[in-house]
Amino acid sequence: MARVGVFVCFCGANIGDFVDIPAVVEETKKIKDVKYAIEYKYVCSDPGQQMIRDTIVDHRLTSIVVAACSPRMHEKTFRKALSDAGMNPYLLEVANIREHASWVHQKDKEAATEKSCDLIRMAVAKSIANEQLHEISVPVTKRALVIGGGIAGIQAALDIADARIPVTLVEKSPSIGGRMAQLDETFPTLDCSQCILTPRMVDVASHPYIELLPYSEVTELDGYVGNYKAKIKKKASFVNFDTCTGCGTCWQKCPVKVPNEFNMGVDKRKAIYSPFPQAVPNKPVIDAEHCTMLIKGKCGVCAKVCEKGSIDYEMKDEMIEREIGAVVVATGFDLWDPKPYEEYGVGRFKDVITSLEFERMVSANGPTGGVPVRPSDGNVPKNVVFIKCVGSRDEAKGIEYCSKVCCMYTAKHAILLHHKVHDSHAYVFYMDIRAAGKGYEEFVKRAQVETGATYLRGRVSKIYKKGDKLMVIGEDAQIGQVVEVEADMVVLATAIYPYKDNPDLARLLGISYDKYGFLSEAHPKLRPVETAKAGIFLAGCTQAPKDIPDSVAQASATAAKVCALFSGDTMKKDPMIASVNPEFCSGCENCVSVCPYQAIVTEEIPMGHGSEEVRTVSKINEGVCQGCGSCVAICRSMAIDLAGFTDMQIINEIVAI
Amino acid sequence: MIKLGQQIENKFLEAVNNKSGNNVLDCYQCGKCVGTCPVSDFMDYPPREIMQMIKLGLKDETYMANSMWFCLTCAACSGRCPREINIPYVMESIRHLAIEENEYSDSGKVKQIMKFHEIFIDMVKRYGRNYELRMMAEFNIRTRNLFKDMHLAPKALLKGKIPLGVKKVKSTKAIQRMFKMAEKLEKTQ
Repeated sequence: MARVGVFVCFCGANIGDFVDIPAVVEETKKIKDVKYAIEYKYVCSDPGQQMIRDTIVDHRLTSIVVAACSPRMHEKTFRKALSDAGMNPYLLEVANIREHASWVHQKDKEAATEKSCDLIRMAVAKSIANEQLHEISVPVTKRALVIGGGIAGIQAALDIADARIPVTLVEKSPSIGGRMAQLDETFPTLDCSQCILTPRMVDVASHPYIELLPYSEVTELDGYVGNYKAKIKKKASFVNFDTCTGCGTCWQKCPVKVPNEFNMGVDKRKAIYSPFPQAVPNKPVIDAEHCTMLIKGKCGVCAKVCEKGSIDYEMKDEMIEREIGAVVVATGFDLWDPKPYEEYGVGRFKDVITSLEFERMVSANGPTGGVPVRPSDGNVPKNVVFIKCVGSRDEAKGIEYCSKVCCMYTAKHAILLHHKVHDSHAYVFYMDIRAAGKGYEEFVKRAQVETGATYLRGRVSKIYKKGDKLMVIGEDAQIGQVVEVEADMVVLATAIYPYKDNPDLARLLGISYDKYGFLSEAHPKLRPVETAKAGIFLAGCTQAPKDIPDSVAQASATAAKVCALFSGDTMKKDPMIASVNPEFCSGCENCVSVCPYQAIVTEEIPMGHGSEEVRTVSKINEGVCQGCGSCVAICRSMAIDLAGFTDMQIINEIVAI
Repeated sequence: MIKLGQQIENKFLEAVNNKSGNNVLDCYQCGKCVGTCPVSDFMDYPPREIMQMIKLGLKDETYMANSMWFCLTCAACSGRCPREINIPYVMESIRHLAIEENEYSDSGKVKQIMKFHEIFIDMVKRYGRNYELRMMAEFNIRTRNLFKDMHLAPKALLKGKIPLGVKKVKSTKAIQRMFKMAEKLEKTQ
């Protein structure tokens, strides 16, 4: 025999002014099974909760209905009150008479009152069918997987490892360091990028809690939060890292030259190479696509000159498995390809280069020894035009969003140009100057006032060649006139674009991504580092364009999330999840395809009745299921039910009105 | 079309900066000066555009503008400038540079304004201060517009806004000596 207690909240004036609460309470008392009903000013207050606790004991109630605000606000508060009174917290129902009645029917008190009564009737009917539920305990494997060895991945790995949690750091290229390793100096302080990055890289390599897997890729991820299983492909490097000393004789002698991707193709590297002098690990790998020994079976120079005999042409890709509890994705960004900008002569004019090419040129360890040079004739440029928003904020040719860092790095480039070539002049074409950040506006002022860079407001319309000069035409909107700048070199501030393999990786991990390929966070404001899939976190430009401080901050935030996840030996999980009744399941697998969390798998069970035949049924992984109910709705044989929202409960609600 | 990039140095900017004691590069083109200026509507380039023209080194265009001649040096702009640029000083500097290089607009209004300045200085030289009545008369004679603003005269006279005589300063000779010294200094520079 059910004994339901109903508490109707005024929520001050929020509900009280628009719903006739005493009338609602009177109406509620008439419902069969309601043994107790009362109104109160603020049920969520301490005395309100005390009232619930006392009433449960005094009136031997079997379920509770609170008619108040959205369950998103105070469901937890009231559940706590129930369990404090010795009652199972899942015997609570919340009737939302604020957002669903008083707020939306402020002009019609009668209707709002009537709707409130209906909502309470439904909640009472549902609560009668409520069952006692218990939080699910899931074991946790305390090891984190960090995908990507740029500054975000490095920071996340170090922070997690410092909490004495083992970390596996997977990096696809031969060295960690990522994009930051390619930068010369960093805004707004102009400290040397490599000088601040390389100590961290060395820390990663020497950290007792970090397992560094360079030249590797994650190929599979199974399981659920706290209990993932990752398959990682260690690509064949053809060099035995255990014996190699990184002496460099092999790449000095290698006869094959290939465009150097670390230097954005400005110079050449060899087929056996280490990307840059401070690489971690500082061991070379053989590029199988270009090595003549691996393609044609001829050459073998590197093996001949290697004193340690570390070259092994027979090496194969190796698959390894790791059991992990959480994943941090930090795959970084690519530069947007400016090819559609034909009016800027991209691809036609050699002296129109991208920002990262310029960055490599002015970098002390870069291909030109720190001096910018014109790719066409090798001369040092005097007049350099910088064009911002190339690709960014261009719906026709590029992308809609702002890449966030171009304003700042262009200001930096203007300053660096002046540092490297004293008698030069920088012209910056801009649409807006977005310098939000600590010390950023001051930095832009430094470029404009101290360096004297000429800022011209407008997008460049076209570039044409006149002799060996580039004529850059655009408007200076400040004076409303067309300007033509005679330039030696043009640098395009190309947009930040997500790493091209992001969609594949997202599918592999079971997380979502946006139309560009940026991985999606769970909530844009309140859950910016989590993904919709529990236990997978995002750091750095893989989620959205970011500068270094933001990437590092987000990486540290993921570390805090991972540490919180691993703080106990087991994790508590909401019990409101789906379950399959194998007796009814027909094995159609419709549920498998609709599940947004990949929580449903199939299994084979015996037919029964002594038969040796088996049949396929669905099975829900309770660690992964988030209780969305999609499978319940699609199941045609009604084999799936959702705890806390059973078919019976829903039918009760419908019958009640 | 404005052509940029032929010279690395911006000599015009340097000259204006040196003369005005300001750095025009400080201007970030917010336009607060334009909104503040009581006469920006009469200028062909409002103060913000003049600043940008100096930044771009557009010497000839700047000299040919009427903006600096219309500027009243009321300093409302510099009182509100977020970058603390003394815009009246900049305007004054361009006036000086334009006269030094003998390159300025020959529009009627600019000519009148320059004449006004000349007569004013003449009054100060003579009396040590301005003699309004004579100043007005001379201005009207020299601009060949005898009856300009005449209708305001009776009212202004009655209210005592235009004194009939002038009270010379104690020593006009000292004033004249000062002018001579200033001329000498100008020549030695």
